[in-house]
Amino acid sequence: MTEPIDPIRMRRAMHARLTRRTFMKGTGAGIAGISLASILAACGGDNGPGAAPPTDVFKGEPGNLVHFANWPLYMDEGEDANGKVTYPSLDAFTKKTGIDVDYKDLINENAEFFGKLQPQFEAGDPTGWDIIVITNGRHLTALTQSGWVYELDPALRPNFEANAADFARDPVYDAANKHTMAWQSGITGIGVNLDKVNGSIESLDDLANPDKVGTDSVGMLREDMPNAAMIHLGIDPEASGPDEWNEAKAWLQHQKDAGTVRKYYTQGYIDDFKVGNLAASMAWSGDIEYYRVWEDKPYQFVFPETGALLWIDNMMIPVGAANPVGAIQLMDWYYQPEIADMLTEYVLYMTPVKGVQDLMLENAKKYRDDGDEDTAKRTEESAHNQYLFPSDEFLAKTRWGRNLTTDDEVEEWDAIFDPISQS
Amino acid sequence: VSTTLTSPPESGPEAPSKRGDRTLGTRRARIPYFLAAPGIAWLGLFFLVPLALMLVESLKTGGLFSGGYHFNWEFSNYGDAITKNWEYIFRSIRISAYVTVACLLFGYPLAYWIAFHGGRWKSQLLLLVLLPFFVSYIIRTIQWTFMLSDDGIILGPLKSIGLLPQSYHVLATEFAVVAGIFYSFLPFAMLPLYVSLERIDKRLVEAATDLYASRVQAFLKVVLPLSLPGVFAAVVLTFVPATGDYVNAELLGNPGTFMVGNKIQDLFLNKNNYPEAAALSLVLMVVMVVIASIYARALGTEEATNMAAAG
Repeated sequence: MTEPIDPIRMRRAMHARLTRRTFMKGTGAGIAGISLASILAACGGDNGPGAAPPTDVFKGEPGNLVHFANWPLYMDEGEDANGKVTYPSLDAFTKKTGIDVDYKDLINENAEFFGKLQPQFEAGDPTGWDIIVITNGRHLTALTQSGWVYELDPALRPNFEANAADFARDPVYDAANKHTMAWQSGITGIGVNLDKVNGSIESLDDLANPDKVGTDSVGMLREDMPNAAMIHLGIDPEASGPDEWNEAKAWLQHQKDAGTVRKYYTQGYIDDFKVGNLAASMAWSGDIEYYRVWEDKPYQFVFPETGALLWIDNMMIPVGAANPVGAIQLMDWYYQPEIADMLTEYVLYMTPVKGVQDLMLENAKKYRDDGDEDTAKRTEESAHNQYLFPSDEFLAKTRWGRNLTTDDEVEEWDAIFDPISQS
Repeated sequence: VSTTLTSPPESGPEAPSKRGDRTLGTRRARIPYFLAAPGIAWLGLFFLVPLALMLVESLKTGGLFSGGYHFNWEFSNYGDAITKNWEYIFRSIRISAYVTVACLLFGYPLAYWIAFHGGRWKSQLLLLVLLPFFVSYIIRTIQWTFMLSDDGIILGPLKSIGLLPQSYHVLATEFAVVAGIFYSFLPFAMLPLYVSLERIDKRLVEAATDLYASRVQAFLKVVLPLSLPGVFAAVVLTFVPATGDYVNAELLGNPGTFMVGNKIQDLFLNKNNYPEAAALSLVLMVVMVVIASIYARALGTEEATNMAAAG
């Protein structure tokens, strides 16, 4: 089913994924974005929330084209005879259904992409997209609350209903997956450069201990650290309020006062990590695991003793989409284990689809039978990687971030946590 | 700019050639306006219109969960912009002041040397100064992060031979931010200084020394005053954009170097809080205009400019 993947090409692609993502988010896109966001925001109308979710959106036959906006290198890629990039799992969809897919990997940040679409939603104009992918968090909640994404018809996603992993079902931010279906998922934990730390790093407390990590040598992730600090303190972020937020802030301040923190990152921590500026950092599982597995770096991804933060990137259909029926068909397409496997073998994120692990092990065997021992070994290692295929025990120790649902909450949250990273 | 746009019609290059030929006279008087029209249109379209839009934006209210922002004469945005962010504004002004002083200290001697001693190599030397402009500003700044990384090509060897302690770092310090902005803006400071120094009649310096002025006195009493318009332009061209810079603080700084530009970026891109971002941008703009005006008065630049223009 899946074509063998050239490890060199995969490695290159993964490297590009990391550098491109961090680079663009950190700087270039920010600069381009500031003017664009301001212009778009300035031009936006005042028509209030988008239309109420229509019940008959998903009636009728699908259109013949789906416009799909996603994050860079978040799709399995191949090459055709002319050296042009192809997307095998999308091509298979087109072959099966006759629906073409206009796939663009142009989302670099949730807030920025949201900012681009917002004026169109406000004006009641179509965004031009049939599928968008947004991480759970305030922007996703704003989209669902404002009625800017369609409610999905469960009857049109049989594969999802049959094969979605438990953690991707009925998530806290979207009851009964009314608006969302998971694309890929991941965990925020601690990345450690073993050459640069003293002793073992097991929890966030170690990132506040200069004896273990030195001074000015720890990276913290701005968006994730309030939730991570709460989990560290034994607080379930989901059930937290301003009191708990202030507890988390106090811990973050304590860490800051300890002098270990070098920088609070929105993006780009991995660049500093790679060149040795950081001894340890809050990190996304895939980033650290990639360098450990594929580049034999002395890195370790630590799942904090007290638990870790779980996040999901979600597919949604924005209001005004020209082809919602085609869109939900494509979303459901990725809930077939064979298709999900094509994706996961390439992007190396946590899959929300059951049955992929077995397929991946089967594929590893095939690679071995074909004499490609290296690919077989790495595929096997991926198949046994708990950050791709978490056990129930493992998932039980993860927590969702606090789902902010009102402007007052957002304002209070930011007022509490922004001063940590901005002064 | 305003001088350029308004003065030509008043002091039109030539009076109408014949008395009574009013049509021709009016036409001629209009020519400068026609010539200025593209510039005025450009300013209107790309400066005044966005400024007006920003003003409108800054008076909106709403939020992420209120279906966007709605115009509501929300003047409290300005209060918030000032009370929540004065720390960043002051910090930016301080960092920018360091940068400006550094640019003058390094840029003036450089410009002086090229203008007075560059000889036939002047153009080539100027090209060298401008050379960094051929590479994108952001790429250049990112390059510093590679060069100055803790174990990078500069600090790595120095650490391994024991000249620097292992924990020493340049990145993620205020010094790195000041140095980064200084590096980026030095040509902006250098060029106006060079232009004003180059225009100085060298015989004036000779005359001063003939009249028993020492070289230092000649510099202080002749060269420096005549170059003041250049100094003024250099300061404005450096100080104003440096205050709003956020790239260097983002890439080279630490939490303590978070500048007002970073805050505006954060409000725009991470918080989608356009009204407060717009209000803060306008507050910053007003602050900069006020500072520049006070500075212009204090330095008496108009006189200096006129004097130089007359010379």
